Amino acid sequence: MIRLEDVHLAFGDNTVLDGVSLEVPPACIYALIGPGAAGKSVLFKVVAGLLRPASGKVFVDDEELGPLNEIELARVRKKIGMLFQNYALFDMNVAENIAFPLRRLFDLSEEEIAERVAERLERVALPGTEHRIPQSMSGGQKKRIGVARATIARPPIVLYDEPTAGLDPVTSQKIYDLVQEEQRAQDTTVMVISSDVAGVLTIADRVGMLHEGRLIFDGTTDDAKASTDPAVRQFVHGLTEGPL
Amino acid sequence: MAFTARAENVSPLAALKNVLQDALAVARVGRRTMHYLIRGKREPGSVARQMFAIGNQSLFFMCITMAFIGAIITFQTGLQSKKLVPDFSMIGATYLKLLIRDLAASVGALPLATRVGAGIAAEIGSMVVTEQVDALRMCAADPVDYLVVPRFIASVIMGTVILIIGGFVAYGSGMLVAQLMFDVSPHTFTNLSLVTMGDLVLGVSKAVTYGGAIALVSGQRGLATFGGSEGVGWATTEAVVGSCFAIIVLNLVISTIGYFFVPAL
Repeated sequence: MIRLEDVHLAFGDNTVLDGVSLEVPPACIYALIGPGAAGKSVLFKVVAGLLRPASGKVFVDDEELGPLNEIELARVRKKIGMLFQNYALFDMNVAENIAFPLRRLFDLSEEEIAERVAERLERVALPGTEHRIPQSMSGGQKKRIGVARATIARPPIVLYDEPTAGLDPVTSQKIYDLVQEEQRAQDTTVMVISSDVAGVLTIADRVGMLHEGRLIFDGTTDDAKASTDPAVRQFVHGLTEGPL
Repeated sequence: MAFTARAENVSPLAALKNVLQDALAVARVGRRTMHYLIRGKREPGSVARQMFAIGNQSLFFMCITMAFIGAIITFQTGLQSKKLVPDFSMIGATYLKLLIRDLAASVGALPLATRVGAGIAAEIGSMVVTEQVDALRMCAADPVDYLVVPRFIASVIMGTVILIIGGFVAYGSGMLVAQLMFDVSPHTFTNLSLVTMGDLVLGVSKAVTYGGAIALVSGQRGLATFGGSEGVGWATTEAVVGSCFAIIVLNLVISTIGYFFVPAL
Protein backbone atom coordinates (compact mmCIF):
# COMPACT_ATOMS: atom_id res chain seq x y z
CA MET A 1 0.00 0.00 0.00
CA ILE A 2 1.22 3.50 -0.89
CA ARG A 3 -0.02 6.65 0.83
CA LEU A 4 0.94 10.28 0.40
CA GLU A 5 -0.25 12.96 2.81
CA ASP A 6 -0.04 16.63 1.80
CA VAL A 7 3.26 16.26 -0.04
CA HIS A 8 4.98 19.43 -1.19
CA LEU A 9 8.14 19.59 -3.24
CA ALA A 10 9.82 22.40 -5.17
CA PHE A 11 13.02 22.83 -7.17
CA GLY A 12 14.03 26.39 -6.36
CA ASP A 13 11.05 28.59 -7.20
CA ASN A 14 9.41 25.88 -9.27
CA THR A 15 6.71 24.13 -7.25
CA VAL A 16 6.45 20.57 -8.54
CA LEU A 17 4.16 18.91 -5.99
CA ASP A 18 1.69 21.14 -4.22
CA GLY A 19 -0.08 19.34 -1.39
CA VAL A 20 -0.58 15.95 -3.03
CA SER A 21 -2.48 13.36 -0.99
CA LEU A 22 -3.38 9.99 -2.42
CA GLU A 23 -3.69 6.36 -1.48
CA VAL A 24 -3.01 3.36 -3.67
CA PRO A 25 -4.69 0.23 -2.24
CA PRO A 26 -2.82 -3.09 -2.30
CA ALA A 27 -3.01 -5.23 -5.45
CA CYS A 28 -4.37 -2.33 -7.48
CA ILE A 29 -3.26 -0.80 -10.78
CA TYR A 30 -3.22 2.94 -10.27
CA ALA A 31 -2.82 5.08 -13.37
CA LEU A 32 -1.28 8.50 -12.84
CA ILE A 33 -2.13 10.79 -15.71
CA GLY A 34 -1.67 14.46 -16.43
CA PRO A 35 -0.13 16.89 -18.87
CA GLY A 36 3.63 17.21 -19.25
CA ALA A 37 5.56 18.74 -16.33
CA ALA A 38 2.65 18.05 -13.98
CA GLY A 39 4.98 16.35 -11.49
CA LYS A 40 4.17 12.71 -12.23
CA SER A 41 7.73 11.37 -12.50
CA VAL A 42 8.76 13.42 -9.48
CA LEU A 43 5.89 11.87 -7.52
CA PHE A 44 7.20 8.41 -8.46
CA LYS A 45 10.66 9.34 -7.21
CA VAL A 46 9.12 10.57 -3.97
CA VAL A 47 7.29 7.26 -3.54
CA ALA A 48 10.54 5.38 -4.25
CA GLY A 49 12.44 7.50 -1.73
CA LEU A 50 14.72 8.87 -4.45
CA LEU A 51 13.57 12.40 -3.67
CA ARG A 52 12.60 13.75 -0.28
CA PRO A 53 9.55 16.03 -0.12
CA ALA A 54 9.91 19.46 1.47
CA SER A 55 6.91 18.63 3.64
CA GLY A 56 4.23 15.99 3.96
CA LYS A 57 4.40 12.28 4.60
CA VAL A 58 4.99 9.30 2.33
CA PHE A 59 4.12 5.78 3.46
CA VAL A 60 5.10 2.54 1.78
CA ASP A 61 3.52 -0.49 3.44
CA ASP A 62 2.64 1.70 6.45
CA GLU A 63 6.29 2.70 6.91
CA GLU A 64 6.93 6.43 6.73
CA LEU A 65 9.90 7.27 4.50
CA GLY A 66 10.61 10.72 5.95
CA PRO A 67 12.66 9.71 9.02
CA LEU A 68 14.61 6.98 7.20
CA ASN A 69 18.28 7.39 6.31
CA GLU A 70 19.75 6.20 3.00
CA ILE A 71 20.54 2.70 4.30
CA GLU A 72 17.01 2.28 5.71
CA LEU A 73 15.53 3.64 2.49
CA ALA A 74 17.50 1.01 0.57
CA ARG A 75 15.66 -1.61 2.64
CA VAL A 76 12.28 -0.10 1.67
CA ARG A 77 13.31 0.13 -1.99
CA LYS A 78 13.77 -3.64 -2.02
CA LYS A 79 9.96 -3.77 -2.01
CA ILE A 80 9.75 -1.56 -5.11
CA GLY A 81 10.59 -2.25 -8.73
CA MET A 82 10.73 0.69 -11.11
CA LEU A 83 10.67 1.11 -14.86
CA PHE A 84 12.23 4.43 -15.80
CA GLN A 85 10.89 6.66 -18.52
CA ASN A 86 14.20 6.65 -20.42
CA TYR A 87 14.91 2.98 -19.67
CA ALA A 88 17.95 3.74 -17.43
CA LEU A 89 19.58 0.53 -18.62
CA PHE A 90 23.20 0.06 -17.63
CA ASP A 91 26.14 -0.32 -20.02
CA MET A 92 25.95 -4.08 -19.72
CA ASN A 93 24.37 -6.79 -21.80
CA VAL A 94 20.69 -7.68 -21.44
CA ALA A 95 21.22 -10.56 -19.01
CA GLU A 96 23.48 -8.53 -16.71
CA ASN A 97 20.97 -5.67 -16.71
CA ILE A 98 18.07 -7.90 -15.75
CA ALA A 99 20.09 -9.89 -13.23
CA PHE A 100 21.45 -6.76 -11.53
CA PRO A 101 18.78 -6.49 -8.79
CA LEU A 102 19.04 -10.21 -8.07
CA ARG A 103 22.80 -10.01 -7.57
CA ARG A 104 22.44 -7.04 -5.23
CA LEU A 105 19.47 -8.34 -3.26
CA PHE A 106 19.87 -12.09 -3.03
CA ASP A 107 22.62 -14.62 -2.67
CA LEU A 108 21.71 -16.84 -5.60
CA SER A 109 23.87 -19.19 -7.63
CA GLU A 110 24.76 -18.28 -11.21
CA GLU A 111 22.51 -21.11 -12.44
CA GLU A 112 19.53 -19.76 -10.52
CA ILE A 113 20.17 -16.25 -11.79
CA ALA A 114 20.46 -17.44 -15.40
CA GLU A 115 17.23 -19.39 -14.98
CA ARG A 116 15.36 -16.40 -13.58
CA VAL A 117 16.71 -14.13 -16.34
CA ALA A 118 15.66 -16.59 -19.04
CA GLU A 119 12.20 -16.86 -17.48
CA ARG A 120 11.84 -13.04 -17.41
CA LEU A 121 13.02 -12.71 -21.00
CA GLU A 122 10.52 -15.35 -22.03
CA ARG A 123 7.83 -13.42 -20.17
CA VAL A 124 8.61 -10.14 -21.96
CA ALA A 125 8.83 -11.92 -25.32
CA LEU A 126 12.56 -11.45 -25.77
CA PRO A 127 13.90 -14.98 -25.39
CA GLY A 128 17.50 -15.63 -26.33
CA THR A 129 18.58 -11.98 -26.15
CA GLU A 130 20.74 -12.40 -23.04
CA HIS A 131 23.99 -11.42 -24.71
CA ARG A 132 22.71 -8.48 -26.75
CA ILE A 133 23.62 -4.92 -25.83
CA PRO A 134 20.49 -2.83 -24.99
CA GLN A 135 21.85 0.23 -26.83
CA SER A 136 21.54 -1.69 -30.08
CA MET A 137 17.89 -2.61 -29.46
CA SER A 138 14.63 -0.80 -30.30
CA GLY A 139 12.70 1.40 -27.87
CA GLY A 140 10.03 -1.26 -27.34
CA GLN A 141 12.64 -3.91 -26.60
CA LYS A 142 14.40 -1.62 -24.14
CA LYS A 143 11.09 -0.99 -22.37
CA ARG A 144 10.54 -4.72 -22.08
CA ILE A 145 14.04 -5.22 -20.70
CA GLY A 146 13.22 -2.48 -18.20
CA VAL A 147 10.02 -4.30 -17.24
CA ALA A 148 11.97 -7.53 -16.80
CA ARG A 149 14.53 -5.80 -14.57
CA ALA A 150 11.84 -4.04 -12.53
CA THR A 151 10.00 -7.28 -11.82
CA ILE A 152 12.73 -9.94 -11.60
CA ALA A 153 13.10 -9.62 -7.84
CA ARG A 154 9.31 -10.03 -7.49
CA PRO A 155 8.77 -6.79 -5.59
CA PRO A 156 5.31 -6.25 -4.11
CA ILE A 157 5.16 -2.74 -5.59
CA VAL A 158 6.05 -1.82 -9.18
CA LEU A 159 6.22 1.69 -10.61
CA TYR A 160 6.07 2.06 -14.41
CA ASP A 161 7.02 5.52 -15.69
CA GLU A 162 5.71 5.97 -19.23
CA PRO A 163 6.01 2.32 -20.25
CA THR A 164 4.67 3.04 -23.73
CA ALA A 165 6.14 6.44 -24.57
CA GLY A 166 7.34 6.56 -28.15
CA LEU A 167 6.05 3.10 -28.99
CA ASP A 168 3.68 2.09 -31.76
CA PRO A 169 0.08 1.16 -30.78
CA VAL A 170 0.62 -2.58 -31.12
CA THR A 171 3.77 -2.61 -28.99
CA SER A 172 2.05 -0.28 -26.51
CA GLN A 173 -0.85 -2.66 -26.08
CA LYS A 174 1.57 -5.57 -25.64
CA ILE A 175 3.32 -3.64 -22.88
CA TYR A 176 0.01 -2.85 -21.17
CA ASP A 177 -1.01 -6.50 -21.40
CA LEU A 178 2.36 -7.45 -19.91
CA VAL A 179 1.93 -4.97 -17.03
CA GLN A 180 -1.52 -6.34 -16.32
CA GLU A 181 -0.46 -10.00 -16.56
CA GLU A 182 2.47 -9.32 -14.24
CA GLN A 183 0.20 -7.60 -11.75
CA ARG A 184 -2.32 -10.45 -11.82
CA ALA A 185 0.37 -13.11 -11.59
CA GLN A 186 2.20 -11.59 -8.61
CA ASP A 187 -0.71 -9.66 -7.03
CA THR A 188 1.47 -6.59 -6.90
CA THR A 189 0.53 -2.99 -6.28
CA VAL A 190 1.21 -1.09 -9.50
CA MET A 191 1.43 2.58 -10.34
CA VAL A 192 1.64 3.54 -14.01
CA ILE A 193 2.37 6.96 -15.45
CA SER A 194 1.18 7.29 -19.00
CA SER A 195 0.39 10.01 -21.49
CA ASP A 196 -1.52 7.39 -23.46
CA VAL A 197 -4.72 7.84 -21.46
CA ALA A 198 -6.93 5.58 -23.57
CA GLY A 199 -4.41 2.75 -23.33
CA VAL A 200 -3.68 2.98 -19.64
CA LEU A 201 -7.36 3.19 -18.71
CA THR A 202 -7.86 -0.26 -20.24
CA ILE A 203 -5.78 -1.80 -17.43
CA ALA A 204 -6.17 0.63 -14.52
CA ASP A 205 -8.38 0.04 -11.49
CA ARG A 206 -7.99 3.58 -10.23
CA VAL A 207 -6.88 6.85 -11.78
CA GLY A 208 -5.26 9.99 -10.41
CA MET A 209 -4.71 13.13 -12.42
CA LEU A 210 -1.98 15.62 -11.60
CA HIS A 211 -2.11 19.14 -12.94
CA GLU A 212 0.43 21.80 -12.01
CA GLY A 213 1.57 19.76 -9.04
CA ARG A 214 -1.91 19.20 -7.60
CA LEU A 215 -3.96 16.03 -7.64
CA ILE A 216 -7.15 17.27 -9.27
CA PHE A 217 -8.78 13.85 -9.61
CA ASP A 218 -8.59 10.56 -7.74
CA GLY A 219 -11.14 7.82 -8.40
CA THR A 220 -12.05 4.76 -10.39
CA THR A 221 -11.56 4.46 -14.13
CA ASP A 222 -15.29 4.83 -14.72
CA ASP A 223 -15.38 7.94 -12.53
CA ALA A 224 -12.53 9.41 -14.58
CA LYS A 225 -14.37 8.79 -17.85
CA ALA A 226 -17.55 10.33 -16.44
CA SER A 227 -15.85 13.25 -14.68
CA THR A 228 -17.38 16.66 -15.23
CA ASP A 229 -14.23 18.49 -14.12
CA PRO A 230 -13.27 20.45 -17.25
CA ALA A 231 -9.53 19.63 -17.05
CA VAL A 232 -10.09 15.93 -16.32
CA ARG A 233 -12.73 15.68 -19.02
CA GLN A 234 -10.51 17.39 -21.56
CA PHE A 235 -7.48 15.24 -20.76
CA VAL A 236 -9.26 11.88 -20.48
CA HIS A 237 -11.20 12.39 -23.71
CA GLY A 238 -8.39 14.12 -25.56
CA LEU A 239 -10.40 17.27 -26.33
CA THR A 240 -8.75 20.33 -27.80
CA GLU A 241 -11.16 22.74 -26.11
CA GLY A 242 -10.75 23.19 -22.37
CA PRO A 243 -8.62 24.69 -19.65
CA LEU A 244 -5.44 22.71 -20.42
CA MET B 1 31.52 24.44 -7.17
CA ALA B 2 32.12 27.99 -6.22
CA PHE B 3 35.29 28.34 -8.30
CA THR B 4 33.77 28.09 -11.72
CA ALA B 5 32.13 30.59 -14.03
CA ARG B 6 28.67 29.47 -12.96
CA ALA B 7 29.34 31.22 -9.67
CA GLU B 8 30.97 34.35 -11.06
CA ASN B 9 28.12 36.69 -10.06
CA VAL B 10 28.15 35.46 -6.47
CA SER B 11 29.52 37.70 -3.72
CA PRO B 12 32.88 36.68 -2.16
CA LEU B 13 31.15 35.70 1.09
CA ALA B 14 28.61 33.55 -0.72
CA ALA B 15 31.40 32.02 -2.80
CA LEU B 16 33.30 31.11 0.37
CA LYS B 17 30.13 29.58 1.78
CA ASN B 18 29.73 27.57 -1.43
CA VAL B 19 33.34 26.35 -1.15
CA LEU B 20 32.71 25.17 2.41
CA GLN B 21 29.45 23.48 1.40
CA ASP B 22 31.22 21.72 -1.45
CA ALA B 23 34.01 20.63 0.88
CA LEU B 24 31.41 19.24 3.28
CA ALA B 25 29.67 17.40 0.44
CA VAL B 26 33.00 15.84 -0.58
CA ALA B 27 33.67 14.94 3.05
CA ARG B 28 30.29 13.18 3.26
CA VAL B 29 31.07 11.17 0.11
CA GLY B 30 34.49 10.44 1.63
CA ARG B 31 32.91 9.13 4.83
CA ARG B 32 30.56 6.86 2.88
CA THR B 33 33.47 5.74 0.70
CA MET B 34 35.43 4.66 3.79
CA HIS B 35 32.31 2.86 5.10
CA TYR B 36 31.85 0.93 1.85
CA LEU B 37 35.56 0.25 1.51
CA ILE B 38 35.11 -2.04 4.48
CA ARG B 39 31.50 -3.17 4.16
CA GLY B 40 30.73 -2.66 0.49
CA LYS B 41 29.94 -5.25 -2.14
CA ARG B 42 32.51 -5.24 -4.97
CA GLU B 43 31.43 -6.35 -8.42
CA PRO B 44 34.05 -8.75 -9.84
CA GLY B 45 36.47 -6.86 -12.05
CA SER B 46 35.10 -3.40 -11.24
CA VAL B 47 38.33 -2.17 -9.62
CA ALA B 48 40.49 -3.74 -12.34
CA ARG B 49 38.43 -1.99 -15.04
CA GLN B 50 38.87 1.35 -13.32
CA MET B 51 42.58 0.72 -12.79
CA PHE B 52 42.91 0.17 -16.51
CA ALA B 53 40.87 3.28 -17.33
CA ILE B 54 42.73 5.48 -14.87
CA GLY B 55 46.18 3.98 -15.18
CA ASN B 56 46.81 2.64 -18.61
CA GLN B 57 44.88 5.32 -20.44
CA SER B 58 46.60 8.16 -18.54
CA LEU B 59 50.13 6.84 -18.76
CA PHE B 60 51.18 8.23 -22.14
CA PHE B 61 49.67 11.66 -21.46
CA MET B 62 51.33 11.82 -18.05
CA CYS B 63 54.74 10.72 -19.36
CA ILE B 64 54.74 13.38 -22.09
CA THR B 65 53.55 16.08 -19.69
CA MET B 66 56.08 15.18 -16.99
CA ALA B 67 58.88 14.97 -19.57
CA PHE B 68 58.22 18.57 -20.59
CA ILE B 69 57.80 19.73 -17.01
CA GLY B 70 61.08 18.04 -15.98
CA ALA B 71 62.93 19.58 -18.91
CA ILE B 72 61.55 23.07 -18.24
CA ILE B 73 62.30 22.97 -14.50
CA THR B 74 65.89 21.81 -15.06
CA PHE B 75 66.48 24.35 -17.81
CA GLN B 76 65.14 27.27 -15.77
CA THR B 77 66.96 26.11 -12.63
CA GLY B 78 70.20 25.78 -14.58
CA LEU B 79 69.82 29.25 -16.09
CA GLN B 80 69.29 30.85 -12.67
CA SER B 81 72.11 28.85 -11.05
CA LYS B 82 74.46 29.94 -13.79
CA LYS B 83 73.96 33.57 -12.75
CA LEU B 84 74.46 32.93 -9.02
CA VAL B 85 76.81 29.99 -8.53
CA PRO B 86 78.16 28.64 -11.79
CA ASP B 87 78.55 25.19 -10.31
CA PHE B 88 76.21 22.48 -11.52
CA SER B 89 77.57 19.62 -9.46
CA MET B 90 74.58 19.63 -7.11
CA ILE B 91 71.87 20.46 -9.63
CA GLY B 92 70.87 16.82 -10.01
CA ALA B 93 70.84 16.14 -6.26
CA THR B 94 68.74 19.24 -5.52
CA TYR B 95 66.39 18.53 -8.39
CA LEU B 96 65.94 14.92 -7.29
CA LYS B 97 65.15 15.92 -3.71
CA LEU B 98 62.66 18.52 -4.88
CA LEU B 99 61.10 16.04 -7.29
CA ILE B 100 60.72 13.29 -4.70
CA ARG B 101 59.60 15.54 -1.90
CA ASP B 102 57.07 17.57 -3.84
CA LEU B 103 57.14 18.20 -7.57
CA ALA B 104 56.59 14.68 -8.94
CA ALA B 105 53.41 14.31 -6.90
CA SER B 106 52.12 17.88 -6.69
CA VAL B 107 52.87 19.05 -10.23
CA GLY B 108 52.07 15.65 -11.73
CA ALA B 109 48.73 15.48 -9.90
CA LEU B 110 47.41 18.56 -11.69
CA PRO B 111 47.44 17.07 -15.22
CA LEU B 112 46.34 13.78 -13.69
CA ALA B 113 43.33 15.57 -12.19
CA THR B 114 42.35 16.91 -15.61
CA ARG B 115 42.54 13.47 -17.21
CA VAL B 116 41.12 11.31 -14.42
CA GLY B 117 38.80 13.82 -12.74
CA ALA B 118 37.09 14.78 -15.98
CA GLY B 119 36.61 11.12 -16.88
CA ILE B 120 35.10 10.18 -13.53
CA ALA B 121 32.73 13.17 -13.36
CA ALA B 122 31.60 12.82 -16.98
CA GLU B 123 30.92 9.11 -16.62
CA ILE B 124 29.01 9.36 -13.35
CA GLY B 125 27.29 12.60 -14.42
CA SER B 126 26.02 10.93 -17.60
CA MET B 127 24.64 8.10 -15.49
CA VAL B 128 22.85 10.63 -13.28
CA VAL B 129 21.14 12.46 -16.13
CA THR B 130 20.06 9.20 -17.78
CA GLU B 131 18.56 8.04 -14.44
CA GLN B 132 21.00 5.11 -14.21
CA VAL B 133 22.07 6.28 -10.78
CA ASP B 134 18.43 6.25 -9.64
CA ALA B 135 18.13 2.78 -11.15
CA LEU B 136 21.17 1.69 -9.13
CA ARG B 137 19.54 2.98 -5.95
CA MET B 138 16.36 1.08 -6.83
CA CYS B 139 18.48 -2.07 -7.15
CA ALA B 140 19.90 -1.68 -3.63
CA ALA B 141 23.22 -0.45 -4.97
CA ASP B 142 24.41 2.70 -3.25
CA PRO B 143 26.02 4.84 -6.00
CA VAL B 144 28.91 5.66 -3.68
CA ASP B 145 29.56 1.96 -3.16
CA TYR B 146 29.03 0.96 -6.77
CA LEU B 147 30.54 3.92 -8.61
CA VAL B 148 32.83 5.90 -6.34
CA VAL B 149 34.58 3.19 -4.31
CA PRO B 150 36.08 1.26 -7.28
CA ARG B 151 37.27 4.54 -8.78
CA PHE B 152 38.68 5.61 -5.43
CA ILE B 153 40.67 2.39 -5.01
CA ALA B 154 41.88 2.52 -8.61
CA SER B 155 42.77 6.20 -8.40
CA VAL B 156 44.75 5.74 -5.19
CA ILE B 157 46.72 2.79 -6.59
CA MET B 158 47.16 3.86 -10.20
CA GLY B 159 47.46 7.56 -9.36
CA THR B 160 50.39 6.76 -7.09
CA VAL B 161 52.00 4.47 -9.65
CA ILE B 162 51.59 7.01 -12.45
CA LEU B 163 52.92 9.88 -10.35
CA ILE B 164 55.99 7.79 -9.48
CA ILE B 165 56.51 6.88 -13.13
CA GLY B 166 56.00 10.55 -14.01
CA GLY B 167 58.68 11.43 -11.47
CA PHE B 168 61.14 9.07 -13.16
CA VAL B 169 60.30 10.53 -16.56
CA ALA B 170 60.71 14.10 -15.28
CA TYR B 171 64.07 13.11 -13.79
CA GLY B 172 65.15 11.53 -17.06
CA SER B 173 64.18 14.55 -19.14
CA GLY B 174 65.89 16.82 -16.60
CA MET B 175 69.04 14.74 -16.90
CA LEU B 176 68.94 15.05 -20.69
CA VAL B 177 68.53 18.83 -20.55
CA ALA B 178 71.31 19.12 -17.94
CA GLN B 179 73.68 17.30 -20.22
CA LEU B 180 72.69 19.06 -23.44
CA MET B 181 72.42 22.59 -22.07
CA PHE B 182 74.81 22.70 -19.11
CA ASP B 183 77.26 19.87 -19.78
CA VAL B 184 76.30 18.04 -16.60
CA SER B 185 77.02 14.35 -17.08
CA PRO B 186 74.36 11.77 -16.09
CA HIS B 187 76.87 10.44 -13.55
CA THR B 188 77.07 13.87 -11.83
CA PHE B 189 73.33 14.46 -12.21
CA THR B 190 72.45 11.14 -10.59
CA ASN B 191 73.23 12.13 -7.06
CA LEU B 192 71.17 10.65 -4.22
CA SER B 193 73.15 12.30 -1.42
CA LEU B 194 70.37 14.73 -0.44
CA VAL B 195 67.48 12.27 -0.55
CA THR B 196 66.26 10.79 2.73
CA MET B 197 63.69 8.14 3.55
CA GLY B 198 61.53 10.95 4.95
CA ASP B 199 61.47 12.61 1.53
CA LEU B 200 60.28 9.37 -0.05
CA VAL B 201 57.58 8.91 2.58
CA LEU B 202 56.41 12.49 2.12
CA GLY B 203 56.34 12.22 -1.67
CA VAL B 204 54.47 8.91 -1.72
CA SER B 205 52.02 10.20 0.93
CA LYS B 206 51.20 13.12 -1.32
CA ALA B 207 50.72 10.86 -4.35
CA VAL B 208 48.38 8.55 -2.42
CA THR B 209 46.38 11.45 -1.00
CA TYR B 210 46.04 13.21 -4.35
CA GLY B 211 44.88 10.01 -6.02
CA GLY B 212 42.14 9.62 -3.43
CA ALA B 213 41.19 13.30 -3.51
CA ILE B 214 40.76 13.34 -7.29
CA ALA B 215 38.38 10.36 -7.13
CA LEU B 216 36.36 11.76 -4.22
CA VAL B 217 35.97 15.30 -5.57
CA SER B 218 35.17 14.09 -9.08
CA GLY B 219 32.85 11.35 -7.85
CA GLN B 220 30.94 13.80 -5.68
CA ARG B 221 30.68 16.29 -8.55
CA GLY B 222 29.45 13.56 -10.86
CA LEU B 223 26.78 12.44 -8.41
CA ALA B 224 25.67 16.06 -7.91
CA THR B 225 25.09 16.54 -11.64
CA PHE B 226 21.82 18.29 -12.36
CA GLY B 227 20.09 18.79 -15.69
CA GLY B 228 21.02 17.34 -19.04
CA SER B 229 24.19 17.36 -21.10
CA GLU B 230 24.96 20.92 -19.99
CA GLY B 231 24.89 19.67 -16.42
CA VAL B 232 27.41 16.96 -17.30
CA GLY B 233 29.64 19.63 -18.83
CA TRP B 234 29.47 21.70 -15.68
CA ALA B 235 30.10 18.70 -13.47
CA THR B 236 33.20 17.85 -15.51
CA THR B 237 34.54 21.39 -15.31
CA GLU B 238 33.83 21.57 -11.60
CA ALA B 239 35.49 18.21 -11.01
CA VAL B 240 38.72 19.37 -12.67
CA VAL B 241 38.74 22.75 -10.93
CA GLY B 242 37.77 21.22 -7.57
CA SER B 243 40.37 18.45 -7.84
CA CYS B 244 43.14 20.93 -8.68
CA PHE B 245 42.07 23.13 -5.79
CA ALA B 246 42.00 20.13 -3.44
CA ILE B 247 45.51 19.13 -4.58
CA ILE B 248 46.88 22.59 -3.86
CA VAL B 249 45.24 22.77 -0.42
CA LEU B 250 46.36 19.22 0.45
CA ASN B 251 49.88 20.04 -0.72
CA LEU B 252 49.98 22.94 1.72
CA VAL B 253 48.66 20.74 4.56
CA ILE B 254 50.97 17.77 3.91
CA SER B 255 53.99 19.99 3.25
CA THR B 256 53.37 21.80 6.54
CA ILE B 257 53.16 18.51 8.40
CA GLY B 258 56.27 17.34 6.54
CA TYR B 259 58.12 20.52 7.49
CA PHE B 260 57.76 19.60 11.16
CA PHE B 261 58.06 15.82 11.01
CA VAL B 262 60.22 15.25 7.92
CA PRO B 263 62.36 18.38 7.72
CA ALA B 264 64.30 19.01 4.53
CA LEU B 265 68.04 18.90 5.09
